[in-house]
Amino acid sequence: MPRKKPRFHSLKKLNVRQDWSRWSLYSLSQLRAPNVTTKTYFQQKWAAKASTRAYHGEQLREKKWKRQFRRNLPAVVPMDHKYLARYDGSEQAAGRGEGADSEDKKRTPPMTPYMQMTYYPLERRLDTAIFRALFASSVRQARQFVVHGLVKVNGKKMPYPGYALNPGDMFQVEPSSVMFATGAPKTRSSLARKITKEKAAARAEAREQNPVKPPPNSPASPDASSTRDEPTPTELKKHMQAMMDHVDAVIAEDVKAKDKQKFRAFRQSVKKAISLWRTANPESIATLDTQLQFLKDQIASRTTPTTPNTDPEPLISDEDQAKLRSAFEKLRLETEHTSAWNPKRNSAAPYATPWRPRDYMSAFAFIPRYLEVNQNVCAAVYLRHPVARPGLAEVPTPFHVETGQLAFNWYLRRR
Amino acid sequence: MPLRLRSAKFSPSSASSQFPSCPPTRPQCITQSAQLSRDFSQTSCQQITLRRRKFYEWMNGPGRQLKEPLPDSTNYLGAYDKYGNLVRAGPGWQRNNAKKEVADNAPAMKAEEVTKDPEAEPEKAPEGQEDLDELELAIREGEAKEKDSKAASKAEKDDGKLPPETAEDLRPFPLNQYFRSQPVLSEDLREAIYKRVKKDGATVSLASVEFGVSNERVGAVVRLKQMEKEWIAQGKHLAIPYSKAVLDMLPTTPFIDPSQAANKGKRPITHEPINDLIVHPATRQQLFVPVSESRHFTRVDAGKAFDNALLPADARIPHPELIQAEREVSQGLSFDERLRLAEARLAKDQAEKKRLEDAKLAEIRAQKVVPKRRWDFVFKDVSVESVGRDGRDYKGVGWRYGVPHEDRKKGQVKIPTKVEA
Repeated sequence: MPRKKPRFHSLKKLNVRQDWSRWSLYSLSQLRAPNVTTKTYFQQKWAAKASTRAYHGEQLREKKWKRQFRRNLPAVVPMDHKYLARYDGSEQAAGRGEGADSEDKKRTPPMTPYMQMTYYPLERRLDTAIFRALFASSVRQARQFVVHGLVKVNGKKMPYPGYALNPGDMFQVEPSSVMFATGAPKTRSSLARKITKEKAAARAEAREQNPVKPPPNSPASPDASSTRDEPTPTELKKHMQAMMDHVDAVIAEDVKAKDKQKFRAFRQSVKKAISLWRTANPESIATLDTQLQFLKDQIASRTTPTTPNTDPEPLISDEDQAKLRSAFEKLRLETEHTSAWNPKRNSAAPYATPWRPRDYMSAFAFIPRYLEVNQNVCAAVYLRHPVARPGLAEVPTPFHVETGQLAFNWYLRRR
Repeated sequence: MPLRLRSAKFSPSSASSQFPSCPPTRPQCITQSAQLSRDFSQTSCQQITLRRRKFYEWMNGPGRQLKEPLPDSTNYLGAYDKYGNLVRAGPGWQRNNAKKEVADNAPAMKAEEVTKDPEAEPEKAPEGQEDLDELELAIREGEAKEKDSKAASKAEKDDGKLPPETAEDLRPFPLNQYFRSQPVLSEDLREAIYKRVKKDGATVSLASVEFGVSNERVGAVVRLKQMEKEWIAQGKHLAIPYSKAVLDMLPTTPFIDPSQAANKGKRPITHEPINDLIVHPATRQQLFVPVSESRHFTRVDAGKAFDNALLPADARIPHPELIQAEREVSQGLSFDERLRLAEARLAKDQAEKKRLEDAKLAEIRAQKVVPKRRWDFVFKDVSVESVGRDGRDYKGVGWRYGVPHEDRKKGQVKIPTKVEA
């Protein structure tokens, strides 16, 4: 009878796998440096090989990997152009005869960790690169994306997960798949469904008991419209200042726009500024674009005839206008694209809506330097092969450097 | 996971209670070992439940901190000690109110780090390498300052603020001390690079020097940004929620906009070392070359000693023009003189590049092309000699007598080796 296949994530044999699961995280936290005191050299090498291969390219057969193994490991040394310009290298041979009689301590560069680079040929594979670029939550998922035709290399569909990327290759993954892979999964528990159903029923009941009254017309609106006139310059200025504050907030918002509060506040302030004018009616200025246009026109028409009066600076300087425009542009993109992905609740989406990153993703989120990733279009460029440099190896491997060395020695056998 | 020790600034009381910040509230712990190993056996299966209990204990204890990203910070396993406490956090820091609180006028850690001129320390030991650690330290501090300046308007208590990460905090794999999560380009920096190359027409190498980003990365950024703009023009939806979430979890290199008044006198933060010298295989061996003491043995000679074709480092780094510029400065040439020389060099480079491109184009034009309905037939010059001595060289063309095709054989790989861009 064939042996049962061992569990992929087992608590009995803890293996770190290339995925973002909690089992991998737990195994990562339980990893130790190899035991070199009580084991024979062969046992050490075997254990190192087994644990590293469980992480690196476990989807590959051993023979395939063995053929890819290279004993020459790539490395770089960062050079200082100022040093190269100043010295021609002969000063390193300078001895006491040339006046170098002090034995001052030279700073030794940190060790180049070649031994962590054993598995660098596997980082070239398309499926691994997709996982490293944070487009999939595991290498197996990345492989599935490739096989299902969701991945393009240099704009052409590439169905082979084993495709070895060349330096300069651009690969892109379907954004909806990326959102699915990295987003929190939908909860489909029967309890959750029951709760939502009960809530909906309660709401319906509440609605039946006290039907909605038509909202009373705001008492301020009629007289406001009657008194609404062309705004005075001081009023305008005040509003503009308030608006520019919001613009600053929007621009500063940069990456961390978790909440849309600032956007909403900004939109409110724009609306307020517009409501000063009599000519504005809400239909014509529904979108932000038209709002900006409207504001600009009005202010231009207003400032040109009335500039002769004491107001020394125009209401919106060129710099501010540029700022305003960029804020508007940002806001527009923001709302458009975010709302496309993040509707309130979309049961058709394969991930939990509104979208949020999946659990434990942040513990695994890093992008190695040999990739340049643009997350907006879910595309990345494989810049070069991973290299070792003083103090740093670019192949992401969770193991101790001694484990790496033992694994390297395992594959050196018969070579 | 190697044990990370908490520094002395923490009160001993918090260390004594096991999980001060994370009480295991979730009732996932399996306390009862209910599962039996055999139906007839009365002993419960001790082994398995012990492992599972430990797993859930860790998940609900130290592992709980890693479940969700830390706001405004990275969140790696290496930043926590074995009890799940954030090592770099001050005693007043709490994860829950980290979202609300905003950092304020904390004394900037080391202001001179960002603005530091590398020229200011000429007495560095002459080994000629850039220090990656220092570069990344500068990036992290720059990033922390950027965050501070964005949120500077609101004053809050200083106590609850997270200091910038140390190199240890950026280790996703705590056991591997030779790997850390290195910063990526921020959105602003990408946009700035794209503008500099596309709008201002700067060459790639110039932009690379200016932003401290390697040549290949500049090219890639421009290519990807171009694609992004095309997507916007086509009305495709960008994955903005994903992008924001990811960039929030990663360390980023901020862009210091020189046009803003606040950034007067600041230098752009270097993203990565741009003059990486590839270790040539010939130099991997140790070599003893006896030379006379009086001989002026330079890098050029050293290269020749390893391999006759090996050029010195000056010619093999990606930015040899920087060395030339530096030499001219040390020669004491005036600014105009240097400008003139640099322009002459640039013109020469461009002429050479143009010559090569023209040659390539001419070669293509010289080929005879017969357009057909589906494919164009292109006639090239080939030589029978190219099959080599054994007739099996890959450069050989056509079907060769007695040499069977092997592409239907078992084990022949059909995966393409390159895709034309």
